[in-house]
Amino acid sequence: MNPVEPYGRKFSTWFSADNIFTGVIMAFLLAILAVFLLYPVVDICRLSFFKDGVFTLQNYADYFSEPRIFRSFYNSMFVSTVTMVITTVLAFLFAYGLTRTTMPFKGFFYTVSTLPLIAPTIIQALALILLFGRNGVITRYALGTDWNIYGATGIIVGEILYCFPNALFILYTTLSAVDTRLDEAAQSLGASALKTFFKVTLPSAKYGIASAAALTFNLTITDFGIPVVIGGDYSVLATEIVNKVFGLQRFDLGATISVILLIPSITAFAINYYLTRKSYAMISGQARPFIQPSRPLKKWAFTAYSALISSCILLVFITVFLGSFVRTWPYDFSLTLKHFDFPSLGASVPLWTAFWNSVLEPGPFRTMIAIKYAPIWTSLLVSLVVAVVGASITLVAAYIIEKKKPRGEQLLYGLSVLPAAIPGVVLGLGYVLAFNKPYFLIYGTIWIIIINIVIANFTLGVLSGTANLKQIDKSVEEAAVSLGAGPVTTFTRIVFPLSKVAFLSTTTFFFMRAMTTISAVLFLVSAQIKLAAIEIIFLDVDGRTASANAMCTVVVLIVALFLIIMRLTTGSSGLSGMSAAK
Amino acid sequence: MGRDLKLENLTKRYGNLTAVDHVDLEIKEGEFICFLGPSGCGKTTVLRMITGFETVTEGKVIFNNRVINDLIPKKREFGIVFQSYALFPNMTVEENIAFGLKMRKMPKKALAERVDAMLDLIGLSDWRSLYPAQLSGGQQQRVALVRALAPDPQVLLLDEPLSALDAKIRLRLRAEIKRLQQELKKTMIHVTHDQEEALSIADRVVVMEKGQFRQVGRPIDIYKNPTCSFVADFVGTSNFFDGRWTNGVVDTGKRKIKVTQNGAAADGTVSLAIRPENVEVFKKEPPPEVAEPMNLAAGRIDVVVFQGAAVRLLIHVDGEEIISDIIEKDFEQRDLKQGDQVYVYFSPDAFLVFPEGGGSR
Repeated sequence: MNPVEPYGRKFSTWFSADNIFTGVIMAFLLAILAVFLLYPVVDICRLSFFKDGVFTLQNYADYFSEPRIFRSFYNSMFVSTVTMVITTVLAFLFAYGLTRTTMPFKGFFYTVSTLPLIAPTIIQALALILLFGRNGVITRYALGTDWNIYGATGIIVGEILYCFPNALFILYTTLSAVDTRLDEAAQSLGASALKTFFKVTLPSAKYGIASAAALTFNLTITDFGIPVVIGGDYSVLATEIVNKVFGLQRFDLGATISVILLIPSITAFAINYYLTRKSYAMISGQARPFIQPSRPLKKWAFTAYSALISSCILLVFITVFLGSFVRTWPYDFSLTLKHFDFPSLGASVPLWTAFWNSVLEPGPFRTMIAIKYAPIWTSLLVSLVVAVVGASITLVAAYIIEKKKPRGEQLLYGLSVLPAAIPGVVLGLGYVLAFNKPYFLIYGTIWIIIINIVIANFTLGVLSGTANLKQIDKSVEEAAVSLGAGPVTTFTRIVFPLSKVAFLSTTTFFFMRAMTTISAVLFLVSAQIKLAAIEIIFLDVDGRTASANAMCTVVVLIVALFLIIMRLTTGSSGLSGMSAAK
Repeated sequence: MGRDLKLENLTKRYGNLTAVDHVDLEIKEGEFICFLGPSGCGKTTVLRMITGFETVTEGKVIFNNRVINDLIPKKREFGIVFQSYALFPNMTVEENIAFGLKMRKMPKKALAERVDAMLDLIGLSDWRSLYPAQLSGGQQQRVALVRALAPDPQVLLLDEPLSALDAKIRLRLRAEIKRLQQELKKTMIHVTHDQEEALSIADRVVVMEKGQFRQVGRPIDIYKNPTCSFVADFVGTSNFFDGRWTNGVVDTGKRKIKVTQNGAAADGTVSLAIRPENVEVFKKEPPPEVAEPMNLAAGRIDVVVFQGAAVRLLIHVDGEEIISDIIEKDFEQRDLKQGDQVYVYFSPDAFLVFPEGGGSR
């Protein structure tokens, strides 16, 4: 018998369950990213280059010819550069202390240094104002001076405190991965400790250092929360965009400045991304460090330094906490809860109002919880949805990219990594331009906010997902397939259970970002839908600083509570590896 | 006819690189075949084309008289055992074994019986509710073996299943695989780079090199009658001499060797191989009496490696190293030791003769 007839029809391979599964998900993900990432960004570019349908560079000419506006570009570059240099140096020393010395309390220092991740980026500015502002407890009260921290100094100090953990993560990973035996080898060959440091330690960490610097630059130049609160008259690109749009309703100028902001931010991101990969290539598998006992001087110098940095970070939190509980900072330090009775006339979300109205007795307390706390409940709802949706969709995307490698995988990967390069303010403005149209039904609902936050943080979800999936042996999946499992079963029964830890930490990450993000959703809140983190800014701008502190405290407590719950219920390790650094 | 597996002109190319180069093979139902070759020879690629995890560039994979090139792996119903075990770490031993049965929607009762039978087969009943991480490597691989066998696959494919295990366990599990194969009469295709494993386990061995099949045959034929110098070199150990053939005498440049068999190429190029156990060793004094004094060569024992029943001698002969295995008893009787001046002797009928230079080794 001549075996010629194929087993099943020829095209069966192309229409196999596996290919359909991959194809449908690919199409879905690409469509989502095209609509909610590319389209808004393209729309911004379009608006900045076209006037009445005609291509023009008029907007750019306007921007650069107006010295006062152009100043914001210079200012942004200035504060970002200074922040970059200082943060990288400080974080490197801190990371060195953690990885290369035998100083005590390492766990405590490390935990404290990650704290800024759980708060909105505005917290540093609020604390600095309470300490060094016009009515700062140190400037006015203790020193009696008129000097205050508003302006470039405030922004830089605030950004350093905010960027510190992100830079630290990269440097910590780099330094703990570089083989300490290199150092030992150098010393055994007769190099002095100092020489070893400059000739061996520093060069072997160079990619990590450069990548931490680039990331810090990117975070600073794209941040909105700190400069808007503490910048005063010192305008930077991010605040300038919001000014033009909110103040002047000049969307075209906002778009133009957005495009200008995109250039340094994408460049810094690309450098960071490129160097991170290079730096990981240098990680040796057998780098489990044994650290020789440090000399007492070195040990205590690093302990003192780490304690100082940790105190500064803790001080930020303590100050804002205190600021939300004392009657009149800095004159009357008696404690009160009145700042938690937020003054906002608050929009109510029917869902919450109905809920609280049914549980609580009528009265001022119900009004406070049901009406005044509405932004908090909305934030909570948004964050929970973002956590689940964000973690799920990025895990699926990571699975397709890492394990299925279909045609167009590079495109999907590129689009997944892109959001980290796009400043939140720019993406938010893009959403207004692209989606503020009557036929776009979800505009003005919480759904557009949820989508925006998921997309803005897509990168980290996908990167941590792919990193985790790389560790799953390919033959485990093949075993499942050879035993008769289809693509869906393989994913739900094998891949997902094996990704659970990564999935939970991504969930936590998305929740944290949704609770604390400011810049991305600034343009998307409305009188009907308010978010807690954004309310902090509005309260502050309104002059209600104490209530801004109180709102900030509430946000921090909610995030901390979520972390604790996750820790207790799932044993997932919380903050580790969750910075924008990954 | 039965459920035979056939490879016809099977080829796999990655860009310019040809990993598998037009190979043909017929595997009978119930046969135990072993692919043997150095790493990178393409043996795993052949296996993966059979499983369906690798696409076929050219040629056909035929099973049960049907071309299955384009059939997805799931539909082939072939069981696979992986080098890395590939047990599902999130499932117990029992759940791992039941997985394939559940996928085939086997009724509960039958499933439980089947799982029990499988656990009995490998004597791991007491371990049923443990997780893979709690088992040793050998135990994990046994679970992987019956997990693949549980759904009663048409063919069982084993991709270097023993390579990750340590020597003792490897021997035990090798015997166990052989026993299972004989009990279940299942077609099995085993891939390995370990010649001893291949020779001891398979009905037929396929020796691969550079994407091609160099020899296909019973283990004894592969060892005794290798058809090319690569096989003679790769399977077992051989001493090689390259030279020119003239009237039963091969001139290697250094010496002339009398050879009974003819097998030289048309131009006289020839490659001779002789197994170490066929190289005899004598003390220099008194001069040994041999049938063909031309095949005697003087040398010195450089290294003595005691191997239990046999002793391996590395003998320095005119700048060449000759390997000789002699049984331990003879070694003592002849009173040989390191540094001794000796004669080595190659019996004219003990040579394997290949019509080629040393190029393919």
